Amino acid sequence: MDWIFLSELAINGALTGLLYSLFAIGLVLIYKASSVPNLAQAGLTMVGAYVVLALARDLGLPLWLAIPIGAVLMFGLGFGIERVALRRLAGRPVVMILMMTLGLDIFLRGTTLAIWGGTSRSMELGVSYEPLFLGDIFLSRIHVVGAAVAIALFVAFMLFFRTRTGIKLRAIADDYMASWSVGISVERGVGLSWALASVVAMAAGVIWGEIQGVDQALSLLLLKGLTVAVLGGLDSILGAVVAGILLGIIENVGADFLDPIVGGGSRELIVAAVLILTVMIRPHGLFGRHDIERV
Amino acid sequence: MQDKVEAQPILSMNSVEVLYDNVMLAIKGVSVQVPKGEMIALLGSNGAGKSTTLKAISGLLKAERGRVSRGEIKFEGTDITDMLAQNRVAQGICHVIEGRRVFEHLTPEENLTAAAPSGMSRSTLNVEKEKIYNYFPRLAERRNSLSGYLSGGEQQMLAIGRALVTQPKLLMLDEPSLGLAPFLVAEIFGILQKINKEDGMSVLLVEQNALAALEIVSEGYLIENGRVVMNGTAAALKANSDIQEFYLGAGEGTDFHNVKHYSRRKRWLS
Repeated sequence: MDWIFLSELAINGALTGLLYSLFAIGLVLIYKASSVPNLAQAGLTMVGAYVVLALARDLGLPLWLAIPIGAVLMFGLGFGIERVALRRLAGRPVVMILMMTLGLDIFLRGTTLAIWGGTSRSMELGVSYEPLFLGDIFLSRIHVVGAAVAIALFVAFMLFFRTRTGIKLRAIADDYMASWSVGISVERGVGLSWALASVVAMAAGVIWGEIQGVDQALSLLLLKGLTVAVLGGLDSILGAVVAGILLGIIENVGADFLDPIVGGGSRELIVAAVLILTVMIRPHGLFGRHDIERV
Repeated sequence: MQDKVEAQPILSMNSVEVLYDNVMLAIKGVSVQVPKGEMIALLGSNGAGKSTTLKAISGLLKAERGRVSRGEIKFEGTDITDMLAQNRVAQGICHVIEGRRVFEHLTPEENLTAAAPSGMSRSTLNVEKEKIYNYFPRLAERRNSLSGYLSGGEQQMLAIGRALVTQPKLLMLDEPSLGLAPFLVAEIFGILQKINKEDGMSVLLVEQNALAALEIVSEGYLIENGRVVMNGTAAALKANSDIQEFYLGAGEGTDFHNVKHYSRRKRWLS
Protein backbone atom coordinates (compact mmCIF):
# COMPACT_ATOMS: atom_id res chain seq x y z
CA MET A 1 0.00 0.00 0.00
CA ASP A 2 1.38 3.36 -1.05
CA TRP A 3 0.57 5.62 1.90
CA ILE A 4 1.74 8.82 0.27
CA PHE A 5 -0.44 8.20 -2.74
CA LEU A 6 -3.36 7.31 -0.52
CA SER A 7 -3.02 10.45 1.58
CA GLU A 8 -2.70 12.51 -1.57
CA LEU A 9 -5.97 11.00 -2.78
CA ALA A 10 -7.57 11.68 0.58
CA ILE A 11 -6.37 15.28 0.88
CA ASN A 12 -7.33 16.18 -2.66
CA GLY A 13 -10.63 14.43 -2.09
CA ALA A 14 -11.20 16.51 1.02
CA LEU A 15 -10.42 19.72 -0.88
CA THR A 16 -12.82 18.80 -3.68
CA GLY A 17 -15.31 17.84 -0.99
CA LEU A 18 -15.08 21.31 0.53
CA LEU A 19 -16.00 22.67 -2.90
CA TYR A 20 -19.10 20.49 -2.78
CA SER A 21 -19.71 22.00 0.67
CA LEU A 22 -19.55 25.43 -0.92
CA PHE A 23 -22.50 24.41 -3.06
CA ALA A 24 -24.27 22.62 -0.20
CA ILE A 25 -24.06 25.63 2.14
CA GLY A 26 -26.43 27.44 -0.22
CA LEU A 27 -28.93 24.59 0.04
CA VAL A 28 -28.64 24.56 3.82
CA LEU A 29 -29.18 28.32 4.09
CA ILE A 30 -32.53 28.10 2.38
CA TYR A 31 -33.53 24.94 4.21
CA LYS A 32 -32.67 26.52 7.55
CA ALA A 33 -34.92 29.48 6.88
CA SER A 34 -37.85 27.88 5.12
CA SER A 35 -37.63 24.09 5.44
CA VAL A 36 -37.58 23.74 1.66
CA PRO A 37 -34.83 21.89 -0.21
CA ASN A 38 -33.89 24.30 -2.97
CA LEU A 39 -33.48 22.43 -6.25
CA ALA A 40 -32.75 25.73 -8.02
CA GLN A 41 -29.35 26.02 -6.36
CA ALA A 42 -27.69 24.58 -9.49
CA GLY A 43 -29.41 27.13 -11.68
CA LEU A 44 -28.32 29.91 -9.33
CA THR A 45 -24.74 28.63 -9.43
CA MET A 46 -24.72 28.83 -13.21
CA VAL A 47 -26.27 32.28 -13.24
CA GLY A 48 -23.68 33.40 -10.68
CA ALA A 49 -20.80 32.14 -12.79
CA TYR A 50 -22.17 33.71 -15.97
CA VAL A 51 -22.90 37.04 -14.29
CA VAL A 52 -19.31 37.34 -13.07
CA LEU A 53 -18.08 36.24 -16.47
CA ALA A 54 -20.26 38.82 -18.21
CA LEU A 55 -19.05 41.60 -15.92
CA ALA A 56 -15.39 40.61 -16.17
CA ARG A 57 -15.08 39.48 -19.80
CA ASP A 58 -17.88 41.21 -21.68
CA LEU A 59 -17.77 44.53 -19.79
CA GLY A 60 -14.05 44.29 -19.09
CA LEU A 61 -14.26 45.03 -15.37
CA PRO A 62 -11.37 43.83 -13.20
CA LEU A 63 -12.18 40.71 -11.18
CA TRP A 64 -11.92 42.44 -7.81
CA LEU A 65 -14.76 44.67 -8.95
CA ALA A 66 -16.73 42.12 -10.98
CA ILE A 67 -17.09 39.70 -8.07
CA PRO A 68 -18.56 42.18 -5.53
CA ILE A 69 -20.89 43.65 -8.16
CA GLY A 70 -21.90 40.11 -9.09
CA ALA A 71 -22.57 39.40 -5.41
CA VAL A 72 -24.86 42.44 -5.15
CA LEU A 73 -26.73 41.42 -8.29
CA MET A 74 -27.15 37.86 -7.02
CA PHE A 75 -28.35 39.18 -3.65
CA GLY A 76 -31.02 41.15 -5.48
CA LEU A 77 -31.91 38.14 -7.63
CA GLY A 78 -32.50 36.05 -4.50
CA PHE A 79 -34.88 38.61 -3.06
CA GLY A 80 -36.57 38.92 -6.45
CA ILE A 81 -37.18 35.17 -6.66
CA GLU A 82 -38.90 35.19 -3.27
CA ARG A 83 -41.03 38.18 -4.20
CA VAL A 84 -42.14 36.92 -7.59
CA ALA A 85 -42.23 33.15 -7.31
CA LEU A 86 -42.40 32.11 -3.67
CA ARG A 87 -44.41 34.67 -1.73
CA ARG A 88 -47.73 33.46 -3.00
CA LEU A 89 -46.79 29.91 -2.06
CA ALA A 90 -46.08 30.67 1.60
CA GLY A 91 -48.14 28.33 3.74
CA ARG A 92 -48.81 25.91 0.88
CA PRO A 93 -47.62 22.29 1.07
CA VAL A 94 -43.85 21.92 0.82
CA VAL A 95 -44.17 19.74 -2.28
CA MET A 96 -45.62 22.72 -4.19
CA ILE A 97 -42.64 24.86 -3.23
CA LEU A 98 -40.28 22.03 -4.12
CA MET A 99 -41.83 21.83 -7.59
CA MET A 100 -41.49 25.61 -7.86
CA THR A 101 -37.76 25.40 -7.13
CA LEU A 102 -37.42 22.70 -9.77
CA GLY A 103 -39.19 24.96 -12.24
CA LEU A 104 -36.93 27.84 -11.26
CA ASP A 105 -33.87 25.67 -11.80
CA ILE A 106 -34.93 24.79 -15.32
CA PHE A 107 -35.82 28.43 -15.97
CA LEU A 108 -32.48 29.78 -14.73
CA ARG A 109 -30.48 27.21 -16.67
CA GLY A 110 -32.52 27.90 -19.79
CA THR A 111 -31.91 31.60 -19.36
CA THR A 112 -28.14 31.18 -19.23
CA LEU A 113 -28.29 28.95 -22.29
CA ALA A 114 -30.41 31.49 -24.17
CA ILE A 115 -28.22 34.48 -23.28
CA TRP A 116 -24.72 33.08 -23.29
CA GLY A 117 -25.04 29.96 -25.45
CA GLY A 118 -23.80 26.47 -24.80
CA THR A 119 -20.06 26.76 -25.50
CA SER A 120 -17.81 26.39 -22.52
CA ARG A 121 -16.02 29.58 -21.42
CA SER A 122 -13.15 29.84 -19.01
CA MET A 123 -13.27 31.93 -15.88
CA GLU A 124 -9.57 32.92 -15.74
CA LEU A 125 -9.36 33.94 -12.12
CA GLY A 126 -5.61 34.27 -12.39
CA VAL A 127 -4.90 31.48 -9.92
CA SER A 128 -1.78 29.77 -11.19
CA TYR A 129 -1.91 26.18 -12.40
CA GLU A 130 1.45 25.50 -10.74
CA PRO A 131 0.93 22.71 -8.24
CA LEU A 132 1.43 23.29 -4.54
CA PHE A 133 3.54 20.79 -2.65
CA LEU A 134 2.73 19.74 0.88
CA GLY A 135 5.72 17.53 1.64
CA ASP A 136 5.47 14.95 -1.12
CA ILE A 137 1.81 15.60 -1.69
CA PHE A 138 0.66 17.41 -4.76
CA LEU A 139 -2.22 19.92 -4.38
CA SER A 140 -4.11 22.04 -6.88
CA ARG A 141 -4.02 25.75 -6.03
CA ILE A 142 -7.56 26.54 -7.13
CA HIS A 143 -8.87 23.74 -4.95
CA VAL A 144 -7.02 25.20 -1.98
CA VAL A 145 -8.46 28.64 -2.70
CA GLY A 146 -11.97 27.20 -3.06
CA ALA A 147 -11.64 25.24 0.18
CA ALA A 148 -10.54 28.40 1.96
CA VAL A 149 -13.59 30.26 0.61
CA ALA A 150 -15.84 27.41 1.79
CA ILE A 151 -14.37 27.51 5.28
CA ALA A 152 -14.60 31.30 5.45
CA LEU A 153 -18.28 31.16 4.48
CA PHE A 154 -18.85 28.38 7.02
CA VAL A 155 -17.44 30.52 9.83
CA ALA A 156 -19.35 33.58 8.68
CA PHE A 157 -22.68 31.74 8.61
CA MET A 158 -22.09 29.97 11.92
CA LEU A 159 -21.73 33.41 13.47
CA PHE A 160 -24.65 34.79 11.46
CA PHE A 161 -27.11 32.22 12.81
CA ARG A 162 -26.33 33.39 16.35
CA THR A 163 -27.27 36.98 15.58
CA ARG A 164 -30.80 38.21 16.08
CA THR A 165 -31.55 38.09 12.35
CA GLY A 166 -30.11 34.58 12.17
CA ILE A 167 -32.26 33.42 15.09
CA LYS A 168 -35.32 34.87 13.39
CA LEU A 169 -34.52 32.88 10.25
CA ARG A 170 -34.27 29.69 12.29
CA ALA A 171 -37.57 30.55 13.94
CA ILE A 172 -39.19 30.92 10.53
CA ALA A 173 -37.95 27.46 9.55
CA ASP A 174 -39.56 26.05 12.69
CA ASP A 175 -43.02 27.55 12.37
CA TYR A 176 -44.31 30.11 9.84
CA MET A 177 -47.54 30.74 11.69
CA ALA A 178 -45.89 31.32 15.06
CA SER A 179 -43.38 33.62 13.36
CA TRP A 180 -46.14 35.75 11.90
CA SER A 181 -47.87 35.82 15.26
CA VAL A 182 -44.92 37.59 16.92
CA GLY A 183 -44.39 40.01 14.07
CA ILE A 184 -41.52 38.32 12.24
CA SER A 185 -41.69 39.09 8.54
CA VAL A 186 -41.58 35.58 7.14
CA GLU A 187 -41.50 36.94 3.61
CA ARG A 188 -38.45 39.10 4.25
CA GLY A 189 -36.71 36.26 6.11
CA VAL A 190 -37.21 33.79 3.30
CA GLY A 191 -36.13 36.47 0.82
CA LEU A 192 -32.96 37.07 2.81
CA SER A 193 -32.15 33.37 2.88
CA TRP A 194 -32.55 33.18 -0.90
CA ALA A 195 -30.42 36.27 -1.31
CA LEU A 196 -27.61 34.82 0.81
CA ALA A 197 -27.89 31.45 -0.91
CA SER A 198 -27.62 33.19 -4.29
CA VAL A 199 -24.40 34.90 -3.24
CA VAL A 200 -23.02 31.57 -2.02
CA ALA A 201 -24.09 30.04 -5.34
CA MET A 202 -22.09 32.70 -7.14
CA ALA A 203 -19.01 31.85 -5.09
CA ALA A 204 -19.45 28.19 -5.97
CA GLY A 205 -20.05 29.07 -9.61
CA VAL A 206 -16.88 31.15 -9.85
CA ILE A 207 -14.67 28.50 -8.24
CA TRP A 208 -16.18 25.59 -10.13
CA GLY A 209 -16.20 27.65 -13.32
CA GLU A 210 -12.45 28.10 -12.93
CA ILE A 211 -11.98 24.37 -12.43
CA GLN A 212 -14.16 22.90 -15.16
CA GLY A 213 -15.14 25.86 -17.33
CA VAL A 214 -18.43 27.73 -17.32
CA ASP A 215 -21.10 25.79 -19.18
CA GLN A 216 -24.28 23.78 -18.62
CA ALA A 217 -22.29 20.99 -16.97
CA LEU A 218 -22.08 23.16 -13.82
CA SER A 219 -25.64 22.16 -13.03
CA LEU A 220 -24.50 18.56 -12.53
CA LEU A 221 -23.12 19.79 -9.21
CA LEU A 222 -26.65 19.52 -7.87
CA LEU A 223 -26.31 15.75 -7.37
CA LYS A 224 -23.14 16.07 -5.32
CA GLY A 225 -24.21 19.20 -3.48
CA LEU A 226 -27.54 17.64 -2.56
CA THR A 227 -25.81 14.47 -1.38
CA VAL A 228 -23.51 16.53 0.83
CA ALA A 229 -26.41 18.54 2.22
CA VAL A 230 -28.46 15.41 2.97
CA LEU A 231 -25.51 13.56 4.49
CA GLY A 232 -24.73 16.56 6.69
CA GLY A 233 -28.36 16.91 7.70
CA LEU A 234 -30.18 19.46 5.53
CA ASP A 235 -30.23 22.22 8.12
CA SER A 236 -26.70 22.04 9.48
CA ILE A 237 -23.92 24.25 8.10
CA LEU A 238 -21.35 22.32 10.11
CA GLY A 239 -22.89 19.17 8.63
CA ALA A 240 -22.45 20.52 5.11
CA VAL A 241 -18.74 21.08 5.73
CA VAL A 242 -18.05 17.76 7.47
CA ALA A 243 -20.13 15.82 4.96
CA GLY A 244 -18.41 17.58 2.08
CA ILE A 245 -14.99 16.52 3.34
CA LEU A 246 -16.25 12.98 3.97
CA LEU A 247 -17.90 12.61 0.59
CA GLY A 248 -14.85 14.02 -1.18
CA ILE A 249 -12.57 11.49 0.51
CA ILE A 250 -14.93 8.54 0.01
CA GLU A 251 -15.41 9.46 -3.62
CA ASN A 252 -11.74 10.01 -4.44
CA VAL A 253 -10.33 7.04 -2.55
CA GLY A 254 -13.25 4.77 -3.43
CA ALA A 255 -13.03 5.58 -7.12
CA ASP A 256 -9.31 4.78 -7.09
CA PHE A 257 -10.09 1.29 -5.77
CA LEU A 258 -13.22 0.65 -7.80
CA ASP A 259 -12.37 2.19 -11.16
CA PRO A 260 -9.83 -0.49 -12.18
CA ILE A 261 -12.36 -3.17 -11.26
CA VAL A 262 -15.45 -1.80 -12.99
CA GLY A 263 -13.53 0.01 -15.71
CA GLY A 264 -14.21 3.62 -14.67
CA GLY A 265 -17.26 5.73 -13.90
CA SER A 266 -17.61 4.62 -10.31
CA ARG A 267 -17.60 8.19 -8.89
CA GLU A 268 -21.22 8.90 -9.65
CA LEU A 269 -22.15 5.48 -8.32
CA ILE A 270 -20.38 6.12 -5.04
CA VAL A 271 -22.11 9.49 -4.64
CA ALA A 272 -25.51 8.01 -5.44
CA ALA A 273 -24.87 5.15 -3.01
CA VAL A 274 -24.02 7.60 -0.24
CA LEU A 275 -27.21 9.57 -0.92
CA ILE A 276 -29.40 6.47 -0.95
CA LEU A 277 -27.79 4.92 2.13
CA THR A 278 -28.07 8.18 4.09
CA VAL A 279 -31.76 8.49 3.39
CA MET A 280 -32.28 4.83 4.29
CA ILE A 281 -30.18 4.65 7.43
CA ARG A 282 -29.97 8.16 8.83
CA PRO A 283 -32.59 10.40 7.21
CA HIS A 284 -31.71 13.43 9.34
CA GLY A 285 -28.05 13.13 8.36
CA LEU A 286 -25.00 13.52 10.55
CA PHE A 287 -25.92 16.76 12.28
CA GLY A 288 -29.48 17.48 11.13
CA ARG A 289 -32.20 18.37 13.58
CA HIS A 290 -34.52 15.62 14.68
CA ASP A 291 -38.22 16.12 14.67
CA ILE A 292 -39.06 16.51 18.30
CA GLU A 293 -41.83 14.28 19.49
CA ARG A 294 -42.84 14.41 23.10
CA VAL A 295 -44.63 11.43 24.53
CA MET B 1 -76.72 41.95 31.50
CA GLN B 2 -76.05 45.24 29.69
CA ASP B 3 -74.03 46.81 32.52
CA LYS B 4 -70.88 47.01 30.39
CA VAL B 5 -67.70 48.57 31.62
CA GLU B 6 -67.64 52.03 30.11
CA ALA B 7 -64.19 53.05 28.95
CA GLN B 8 -62.50 54.00 25.71
CA PRO B 9 -62.10 50.62 23.98
CA ILE B 10 -58.58 49.74 22.89
CA LEU B 11 -60.07 47.33 20.38
CA SER B 12 -63.42 47.51 18.72
CA MET B 13 -64.64 45.03 16.22
CA ASN B 14 -67.86 45.85 14.40
CA SER B 15 -70.01 43.24 12.65
CA VAL B 16 -67.03 41.41 11.22
CA GLU B 17 -67.57 38.59 8.78
CA VAL B 18 -64.78 36.20 7.84
CA LEU B 19 -64.68 34.13 4.69
CA TYR B 20 -62.29 31.24 4.20
CA ASP B 21 -61.37 30.33 0.61
CA ASN B 22 -64.00 32.83 -0.51
CA VAL B 23 -66.77 30.36 0.30
CA MET B 24 -66.87 29.32 3.92
CA LEU B 25 -68.37 31.87 6.25
CA ALA B 26 -66.67 31.26 9.59
CA ILE B 27 -67.97 34.21 11.60
CA LYS B 28 -71.12 36.08 10.74
CA GLY B 29 -71.05 39.59 12.07
CA VAL B 30 -69.16 39.48 15.33
CA SER B 31 -68.85 42.67 17.39
CA VAL B 32 -66.49 42.70 20.34
CA GLN B 33 -65.17 45.62 22.37
CA VAL B 34 -62.11 45.36 24.59
CA PRO B 35 -61.96 48.31 27.01
CA LYS B 36 -58.45 49.55 27.75
CA GLY B 37 -56.77 47.70 30.59
CA GLU B 38 -59.55 45.12 30.94
CA MET B 39 -59.55 41.35 30.63
CA ILE B 40 -62.24 40.01 28.35
CA ALA B 41 -63.10 36.39 27.55
CA LEU B 42 -64.56 34.87 24.40
CA LEU B 43 -66.38 31.69 25.36
CA GLY B 44 -68.04 29.06 23.29
CA SER B 45 -67.77 25.48 22.15
CA ASN B 46 -65.56 23.93 19.48
CA GLY B 47 -65.80 25.48 16.04
CA ALA B 48 -67.90 28.38 17.26
CA GLY B 49 -65.60 30.94 15.64
CA LYS B 50 -63.54 32.08 18.62
CA SER B 51 -60.15 31.38 17.05
CA THR B 52 -61.25 32.92 13.77
CA THR B 53 -62.22 36.06 15.65
CA LEU B 54 -58.73 36.29 17.14
CA LYS B 55 -57.08 35.65 13.79
CA ALA B 56 -59.17 38.40 12.21
CA ILE B 57 -57.81 40.77 14.84
CA SER B 58 -54.17 39.64 14.57
CA GLY B 59 -54.12 39.36 10.79
CA LEU B 60 -53.19 35.69 10.76
CA LEU B 61 -56.23 34.84 8.64
CA LYS B 62 -54.27 35.53 5.51
CA ALA B 63 -51.98 32.58 6.16
CA GLU B 64 -55.03 30.32 6.10
CA ARG B 65 -56.56 31.89 3.03
CA GLY B 66 -59.20 33.67 5.03
CA ARG B 67 -60.21 37.32 4.84
CA VAL B 68 -62.47 39.82 6.52
CA SER B 69 -65.27 40.23 4.02
CA ARG B 70 -67.37 42.72 5.98
CA GLY B 71 -67.14 44.94 9.01
CA GLU B 72 -64.17 46.76 10.46
CA ILE B 73 -61.63 46.31 13.22
CA LYS B 74 -60.26 49.35 15.00
CA PHE B 75 -57.29 49.37 17.33
CA GLU B 76 -56.77 52.55 19.35
CA GLY B 77 -58.97 54.33 16.87
CA THR B 78 -57.06 53.24 13.74
CA ASP B 79 -58.61 50.94 11.20
CA ILE B 80 -56.46 47.79 11.04
CA THR B 81 -58.82 45.58 9.05
CA ASP B 82 -56.41 45.23 6.12
CA MET B 83 -53.09 45.75 7.88
CA LEU B 84 -50.27 43.19 7.57
CA ALA B 85 -49.86 40.91 10.58
CA GLN B 86 -46.36 42.17 11.36
CA ASN B 87 -47.53 45.79 11.40
CA ARG B 88 -50.30 44.91 13.83
CA VAL B 89 -47.70 43.41 16.15
CA ALA B 90 -45.75 46.66 15.86
CA GLN B 91 -48.95 48.55 16.73
CA GLY B 92 -49.24 46.49 19.91
CA ILE B 93 -51.41 43.45 19.22
CA CYS B 94 -49.92 40.08 19.93
CA HIS B 95 -51.67 36.78 19.46
CA VAL B 96 -50.61 33.66 21.37
CA ILE B 97 -51.85 31.07 18.93
CA GLU B 98 -53.56 27.84 19.82
CA GLY B 99 -51.48 24.76 20.61
CA ARG B 100 -48.49 26.60 22.10
CA ARG B 101 -46.38 26.44 18.93
CA VAL B 102 -43.05 27.47 20.44
CA PHE B 103 -40.03 27.38 18.14
CA GLU B 104 -39.11 23.82 19.07
CA HIS B 105 -35.57 23.76 17.76
CA LEU B 106 -34.65 26.99 19.52
CA THR B 107 -33.96 27.42 23.22
CA PRO B 108 -36.37 29.51 25.32
CA GLU B 109 -33.75 32.24 25.32
CA GLU B 110 -33.67 32.20 21.51
CA ASN B 111 -37.47 32.03 21.33
CA LEU B 112 -37.59 35.31 23.20
CA THR B 113 -34.87 36.83 21.02
CA ALA B 114 -36.68 35.79 17.85
CA ALA B 115 -39.77 37.73 18.90
CA ALA B 116 -37.88 40.94 19.67
CA PRO B 117 -39.00 43.85 17.48
CA SER B 118 -36.21 44.77 15.07
CA GLY B 119 -35.76 48.22 16.61
CA MET B 120 -35.36 46.95 20.17
CA SER B 121 -31.91 47.54 21.66
CA ARG B 122 -29.98 44.70 23.23
CA SER B 123 -30.26 46.20 26.72
CA THR B 124 -34.03 46.67 26.45
CA LEU B 125 -34.32 43.10 25.24
CA ASN B 126 -32.37 41.85 28.23
CA VAL B 127 -34.59 43.83 30.60
CA GLU B 128 -37.67 42.37 28.92
CA LYS B 129 -36.24 38.86 29.17
CA GLU B 130 -35.51 39.25 32.87
CA LYS B 131 -39.04 40.51 33.42
CA ILE B 132 -40.43 37.45 31.66
CA TYR B 133 -38.16 35.09 33.60
CA ASN B 134 -39.45 36.75 36.75
CA TYR B 135 -43.02 36.03 35.76
CA PHE B 136 -42.12 32.46 34.81
CA PRO B 137 -39.22 31.24 36.97
CA ARG B 138 -39.55 27.74 35.45
CA LEU B 139 -38.46 29.16 32.10
CA ALA B 140 -35.38 30.75 33.64
CA GLU B 141 -34.26 27.33 34.85
CA ARG B 142 -34.54 25.88 31.37
CA ARG B 143 -33.54 28.89 29.32
CA ASN B 144 -30.82 27.03 27.43
CA SER B 145 -32.46 23.67 26.76
CA LEU B 146 -34.32 22.90 23.55
CA SER B 147 -37.88 24.26 23.72
CA GLY B 148 -39.33 21.19 22.05
CA TYR B 149 -38.47 19.19 25.15
CA LEU B 150 -40.16 21.52 27.64
CA SER B 151 -43.32 20.30 29.34
CA GLY B 152 -46.69 21.48 28.06
CA GLY B 153 -47.03 24.03 30.83
CA GLU B 154 -43.54 25.40 30.27
CA GLN B 155 -44.21 25.67 26.55
CA GLN B 156 -47.39 27.62 27.21
CA MET B 157 -45.45 29.93 29.50
CA LEU B 158 -42.81 30.36 26.82
CA ALA B 159 -45.47 31.11 24.21
CA ILE B 160 -46.87 33.82 26.48
CA GLY B 161 -43.39 35.13 27.30
CA ARG B 162 -42.54 35.22 23.62
CA ALA B 163 -45.61 37.35 23.00
CA LEU B 164 -44.69 39.68 25.88
CA VAL B 165 -41.32 40.46 24.26
CA THR B 166 -43.20 42.28 21.51
CA GLN B 167 -44.46 44.64 24.27
CA PRO B 168 -48.12 44.33 23.34
CA LYS B 169 -50.86 46.67 24.51
CA LEU B 170 -53.41 43.97 23.74
CA LEU B 171 -52.49 40.37 24.44
CA MET B 172 -54.73 37.75 22.86
CA LEU B 173 -54.55 34.15 23.98
CA ASP B 174 -56.14 31.19 22.23
CA GLU B 175 -56.97 28.43 24.72
CA PRO B 176 -53.91 28.72 26.95
CA SER B 177 -55.38 26.11 29.30
CA LEU B 178 -55.67 23.42 26.64
CA GLY B 179 -54.26 20.11 27.81
CA LEU B 180 -52.78 21.50 31.03
CA ALA B 181 -53.22 20.26 34.57
CA PRO B 182 -55.54 22.44 36.70
CA PHE B 183 -52.74 23.72 38.94
CA LEU B 184 -50.82 24.91 35.87
CA VAL B 185 -53.94 26.60 34.51
CA ALA B 186 -54.27 28.38 37.83
CA GLU B 187 -50.61 29.42 37.75
CA ILE B 188 -50.79 30.74 34.20
CA PHE B 189 -54.08 32.55 34.75
CA GLY B 190 -52.68 34.06 37.94
CA ILE B 191 -49.73 35.46 35.99
CA LEU B 192 -52.05 36.80 33.27
CA GLN B 193 -54.00 38.60 35.97
CA LYS B 194 -50.80 39.98 37.42
CA ILE B 195 -49.60 41.27 34.04
CA ASN B 196 -53.01 42.78 33.44
CA LYS B 197 -53.00 44.60 36.78
CA GLU B 198 -49.35 45.64 36.96
CA ASP B 199 -48.72 46.66 33.37
CA GLY B 200 -52.27 47.63 32.51
CA MET B 201 -52.13 45.33 29.51
CA SER B 202 -55.50 44.59 27.95
CA VAL B 203 -56.19 40.90 27.51
CA LEU B 204 -58.54 39.05 25.19
CA LEU B 205 -58.82 35.44 26.25
CA VAL B 206 -60.39 32.65 24.23
CA GLU B 207 -61.36 29.72 26.40
CA GLN B 208 -63.41 26.58 26.44
CA ASN B 209 -62.66 26.32 30.12
CA ALA B 210 -65.31 28.90 30.98
CA LEU B 211 -65.15 28.15 34.68
CA ALA B 212 -61.51 29.20 34.95
CA ALA B 213 -61.86 32.09 32.52
CA LEU B 214 -64.85 33.72 34.23
CA GLU B 215 -62.87 33.81 37.46
CA ILE B 216 -60.31 36.24 36.09
CA VAL B 217 -62.04 38.33 33.41
CA SER B 218 -64.32 41.29 33.93
CA GLU B 219 -66.57 40.66 30.95
CA GLY B 220 -67.33 37.82 28.58
CA TYR B 221 -68.79 37.18 25.17
CA LEU B 222 -70.43 33.92 24.27
CA ILE B 223 -69.94 32.92 20.64
CA GLU B 224 -71.89 30.15 18.94
CA ASN B 225 -72.10 29.32 15.25
CA GLY B 226 -70.11 32.40 14.31
CA ARG B 227 -72.30 34.87 16.19
CA VAL B 228 -72.16 36.60 19.53
CA VAL B 229 -75.17 35.21 21.36
CA MET B 230 -74.60 36.60 24.81
CA ASN B 231 -72.47 39.29 26.39
CA GLY B 232 -72.16 40.59 29.92
CA THR B 233 -70.03 40.95 33.00
CA ALA B 234 -68.37 37.86 34.36
CA ALA B 235 -70.71 37.87 37.36
CA ALA B 236 -73.81 38.10 35.17
CA LEU B 237 -72.61 35.28 32.93
CA LYS B 238 -71.78 33.07 35.87
CA ALA B 239 -75.27 33.63 37.24
CA ASN B 240 -76.98 32.77 33.98
CA SER B 241 -78.58 29.35 34.19
CA ASP B 242 -77.97 28.43 30.55
CA ILE B 243 -74.29 29.27 30.87
CA GLN B 244 -74.17 27.26 34.06
CA GLU B 245 -75.57 24.21 32.42
CA PHE B 246 -73.80 24.24 29.08
CA TYR B 247 -70.46 25.83 29.86
CA LEU B 248 -69.85 25.53 33.57
CA GLY B 249 -71.03 21.94 33.89
CA ALA B 250 -73.36 22.70 36.75
CA GLY B 251 -76.64 21.39 35.41
CA GLU B 252 -79.30 21.12 38.07
CA GLY B 253 -80.96 17.93 36.86
CA THR B 254 -79.67 14.57 37.91
CA ASP B 255 -83.05 13.11 37.17
CA PHE B 256 -82.02 11.06 34.16
CA HIS B 257 -85.51 9.85 33.62
CA ASN B 258 -86.55 13.31 32.55
CA VAL B 259 -83.43 14.18 30.60
CA LYS B 260 -84.63 12.29 27.57
CA HIS B 261 -88.01 13.95 27.40
CA TYR B 262 -87.10 17.45 28.35
CA SER B 263 -83.50 17.72 27.28
CA ARG B 264 -82.58 21.37 27.31
CA ARG B 265 -81.26 22.89 24.14
CA LYS B 266 -79.17 25.88 23.40
CA ARG B 267 -82.32 27.83 22.56
CA TRP B 268 -80.40 30.77 21.17
CA LEU B 269 -79.01 28.71 18.31
CA SER B 270 -82.10 28.78 16.14
